[in-house]
Amino acid sequence: MSNENSQGEEINHFRRIVYIWIALSVVCDLLFWFLVGPHVPPGRMTSSAQGDQLDFNILFVIGLPVLIGVSEWLVYAAFNWNAKKKDTPESVGGPRAWGNKRVEVSWIIVTSVVVVCLAGFGIIELVALQGAGGGEGPNPIWYPHGAIQAETAALAGTGTWSPNSNDVLPVQVIAQQWKFTYRYPTFGGFESSELILPDDTAIAFNVTSLDVIHSFWAYQLEVKADANPLENNVAFTRTQQLGNFVVRCSELCGLWHGAMFNYGTVVSQAAFEKWATTTEAANAANTKNLAPFAWTYVPDANGAAGGYYPDGNVTPYSPTEIYGSKQPS
Amino acid sequence: MTISAERPTEVDDKGVDPPEFIAQPKLRRHGLLGQHLGTAIVCGFLGYILGHWLGNYVASGYPYIANSGQNSIAVLLALMFMVLGWLIGIGALNYPFAKMLGREAKGEVEYQGWTRYFRYNLDHKVVGIQYVVGVLVFFFTGGLLAMAIRTELLNPTVHVFSADTYIKIVSEHGTIMMMMASSVVVGPLGNYFVPLMIGARRMAYPRIEAFSFWIFSAGYLVIFSALFFGGFPTGWTGYAPLQTQAGPGMISYLFGFAIISIGMMAAGFNLAVTIINYRAPGMTWSRVPIFVWSIIATAALLTLASPVLLAAGLFGILDKTVQTAFYVTEHGGSSYLWENLFWFFGHPEVYIMALPGFGIVGEILPVFARKPLFAYRIAAAGMIGVALLSFFVWQHHLFQSGINPDMRPLFMLTTELISIPTGFIFLVGMGTLYKAKIRYEVPMLFCMAVYFNFLIGGMSGVFLSDVPVNVTVHGGFFVLSHFHYTIMGGLIFAFFAGLYFWLPKMTGKKMNKKLGLWHFWTMFVFFNLTFFPMFVIGLLGQPRRVFTYAKNLQTLNDFSSISAFLLGASFLIFVANIMWSQFISPEKSPPNPWDSLGLEWQTATPIPIYNFERIPVIMTDPYHYSEPGAPALADFGEKVMAPNTSPPSSSTSTDQ
Amino acid sequence: MTDIIKDAHGMSDTPEEREFELRAHIGSIWSGGRLFIGMYTFLIASLAFSYFYLRSSNNGLLWRPDHVTAPTAYGWAIWSLTMLAAGMAIFGRRRFRKGNSADWMVAGWVGLAAALLALFLQIWEWQKIPFYPGSSGYASTFIGYTIINLLTIAIVAYWLETTLARALRLRKELGGANAEYSMHPSAQSFRANVASMTYFLGFVAIASTLMFAMFYLL
Repeated sequence: MSNENSQGEEINHFRRIVYIWIALSVVCDLLFWFLVGPHVPPGRMTSSAQGDQLDFNILFVIGLPVLIGVSEWLVYAAFNWNAKKKDTPESVGGPRAWGNKRVEVSWIIVTSVVVVCLAGFGIIELVALQGAGGGEGPNPIWYPHGAIQAETAALAGTGTWSPNSNDVLPVQVIAQQWKFTYRYPTFGGFESSELILPDDTAIAFNVTSLDVIHSFWAYQLEVKADANPLENNVAFTRTQQLGNFVVRCSELCGLWHGAMFNYGTVVSQAAFEKWATTTEAANAANTKNLAPFAWTYVPDANGAAGGYYPDGNVTPYSPTEIYGSKQPS
Repeated sequence: MTISAERPTEVDDKGVDPPEFIAQPKLRRHGLLGQHLGTAIVCGFLGYILGHWLGNYVASGYPYIANSGQNSIAVLLALMFMVLGWLIGIGALNYPFAKMLGREAKGEVEYQGWTRYFRYNLDHKVVGIQYVVGVLVFFFTGGLLAMAIRTELLNPTVHVFSADTYIKIVSEHGTIMMMMASSVVVGPLGNYFVPLMIGARRMAYPRIEAFSFWIFSAGYLVIFSALFFGGFPTGWTGYAPLQTQAGPGMISYLFGFAIISIGMMAAGFNLAVTIINYRAPGMTWSRVPIFVWSIIATAALLTLASPVLLAAGLFGILDKTVQTAFYVTEHGGSSYLWENLFWFFGHPEVYIMALPGFGIVGEILPVFARKPLFAYRIAAAGMIGVALLSFFVWQHHLFQSGINPDMRPLFMLTTELISIPTGFIFLVGMGTLYKAKIRYEVPMLFCMAVYFNFLIGGMSGVFLSDVPVNVTVHGGFFVLSHFHYTIMGGLIFAFFAGLYFWLPKMTGKKMNKKLGLWHFWTMFVFFNLTFFPMFVIGLLGQPRRVFTYAKNLQTLNDFSSISAFLLGASFLIFVANIMWSQFISPEKSPPNPWDSLGLEWQTATPIPIYNFERIPVIMTDPYHYSEPGAPALADFGEKVMAPNTSPPSSSTSTDQ
Repeated sequence: MTDIIKDAHGMSDTPEEREFELRAHIGSIWSGGRLFIGMYTFLIASLAFSYFYLRSSNNGLLWRPDHVTAPTAYGWAIWSLTMLAAGMAIFGRRRFRKGNSADWMVAGWVGLAAALLALFLQIWEWQKIPFYPGSSGYASTFIGYTIINLLTIAIVAYWLETTLARALRLRKELGGANAEYSMHPSAQSFRANVASMTYFLGFVAIASTLMFAMFYLL
């Protein structure tokens, strides 16, 4: 394998590399797409899971040829472009080794086009999947149809959900050190440690925290939203398969962060309604003692626990009035 | 007496000594007196005691301190006075005080002998070697902590550490490594070689450079002290409100970062100014070596991003000592404020880590491929492009945090765009290797490993930048593997490439090739075996910083842990190599063992204190490997200066 | 312990090389001064970002309850003194360039006194604040502002003092009334330092005005 500068030898290397690259890329891409792709985490339990799985696969299929190409180049170089005489360095390449306008320009154009297309594709997916399961903060801009009405009604205490109605189901996720609990505002706002969800429904997760930053990661549901105190972080998805899923905290929140997980289930709509109404009835006495349903539960200028005090007419308190000009003791 | 009689003095100095910046360096014999590491330790210790006492005296009366039993103010003052004592002890504050008396920088001694490595030395080569030791100390401390982490993760139900200890280990590991990595190339290799590569005889601000090293080592002491204050539970990202909830160990973190940020600013400031002003005559920007380009791009980030960290740390310290509410949402602050400030610094920070690695690889590849650097201008443009864009991507760390979603498409686009200039480095590397005649010395192997590792790391970054896929991979082992591949696989491998490449010049002794090969192969293989499974572990749902995980992931975790132990062991080979080659059985190295055309290799070994006998006149760039009988890099003798050097005529012409 | 001073044998020391090193040094003062302004901008910008971010979030309606404000008399005093220090430096340099270094020196000392007084007042103000540090977002950012302001004024005072001290020593060493204007490298370096310092003080004037407006006027 010599590096003579005659026209024939030069094209040989590059062409050879390109042919191998195309062959390997096509084969590996096809293998990946058909064998691995359908099983890529997190699966297809929800619309966001399915959409993100597709997104991942597309990125992988485009990225794999890059990976193959560069690795192949390195390996090819290692085997074919060695110095013959180990100790005496020889000069290589002549004046043409400094650069090649065509190669440089093509590289810049191709990488730019690929990257911009990927970004564009990502944006389309983000919008099409109504946020793709990611937390959008208190004022989401991508949401399923009917979500805003459902959320507004939930806060007012007038929200309802019934099977086969295509309503959006708001679920509140309350994170604390070190567990998650869930409230269902359309069923009287009862609080539960179990997360049961109906199938074929758009769910609006309203994630908040009582103390430090946590992160609600429902793995198979492909929902991830940070839980911040005094913030409501809304994420959407649509369930489409029955089954179990795991919820893990994915933001370091102190000692037992590693142990902060629980399990949930997606059941049929009828089974869900049955469970929800039964639990609502069974917990009615407890629910009366809870704070009224609110987006956040941390004491703030409006009082403690999101308006817990019956008189919802609390004005922002003035530290000067309470403490005077000195430190509190 | 200070200037030897044989040198003419044509300056109108009225019998006054010329200032240091144009005088010859004076040499002194060494001694154990004077200010050195020993005095620094003593004064630092005394400062610690003084500060702690002062904090107790001043603050223990406050109710919130008396009630909680923890005096953060005492901890803060102890650490502040410790650092102050350390700096006073080493002599860093001598000149600043002398300036207040109007004294100029002259008459300062330069020590000879081995004790000069333990002093506040103004020779950039000495500072470079000091940094090598400092960086390796940081690295091995962080590495031991990593071994502890992987031990804990061997089994999801059998726990080696308590939850409390584990979280402190995780946080300390991350913080120490990040602090080390921000200076791992700029400190040792940047400080040592930038003046040599640009043909300068000194740095622009040698005292600021030495200061950056001693502040860096003080930072190590501060962050290490966290372990004695009960550690901190937040990981290296320090999110509030967990930060506010934490104990006094958090002060070590916040103050440690403030200190390190000052060191980073000092190092970057000095390097940037030196590269701009001290290039030898004839060294136009198109002849500047690619390593120097990477350092100036890094210096831009070091100087401009670190003040933001300083502010963030300052606000955190105020929250914990004076009870302000910067990061406390319930009192008018915001936990998002910390996130934004931290990541506005945090993203340029990781490019501070990546760029010097690219520079080293660009510098070493032509030597062992015997070809010029392919598309040199594109490489330089890539460095600048990465540096510029790195300020516009920080919110990709915050996609799921609940901040305003409007900006998400923008940040996704900018993050994807930054992969274009990063890709230029690959274009340049691949082009340089094309039909080259590669010699497989140890530095070259490390460089090729950098390309492989950073390829994987960079590609995984593309997945993370895509917001929908980010929902899967954020906060878990996927992102962990991404940054270990880019920072460790990219930067640390490049650091070792640079060390093996340049140590023969720095110390005059060859590194053992066999041990080097063993080190490389074990490190490369076990690095990939450790971190590649973590992509899968992350995709399968394991979050970061956890001590327990799903049982079905145990096999993968064990595979990763065992490989990690072997990876740790591979560094022992490196230590053995250093000990053997440099101390136990050293072999002299020729002045240019790799046959490099670089300017730094055209000096004698050991390099004299003034670097170049005469200021060289640069004729071309250092990459003429492809033409036998290439033009000389520089003129070292006959023509000292370019013509046209008449002194300025008007008296106030130095105003610029 | 005897000190043996050896010649740095082998290093060439021709006038051209000295000239080169001098020019590089002067250039470093120029670049360094501008770069320092850039760095400081980011520090001030972090504070400004915090202010406006917390203001727009208004978490818990506790950004600025009752529009609480720090004592404005102190604010005006500190701001005026800072502007005086900066103004003196700029005015002094104008006079310096015209050849009147005595005016520059007087202006410098006045500026230094102003800066030291501002430093004292800023620390004294802590006792006069009518709000508890954690009582609101404004209070927190204000405390942060006082720390950064102290740092800024301290840097200004230090830079002024060392430059003035250097001028005095130059006069003593080089002799003569116009030592600062001589072609001796120390004098050239000194003039470059004065130029950079004046630029920085101009920046400080602008930054202080913005901060003053944010915390006391808005």
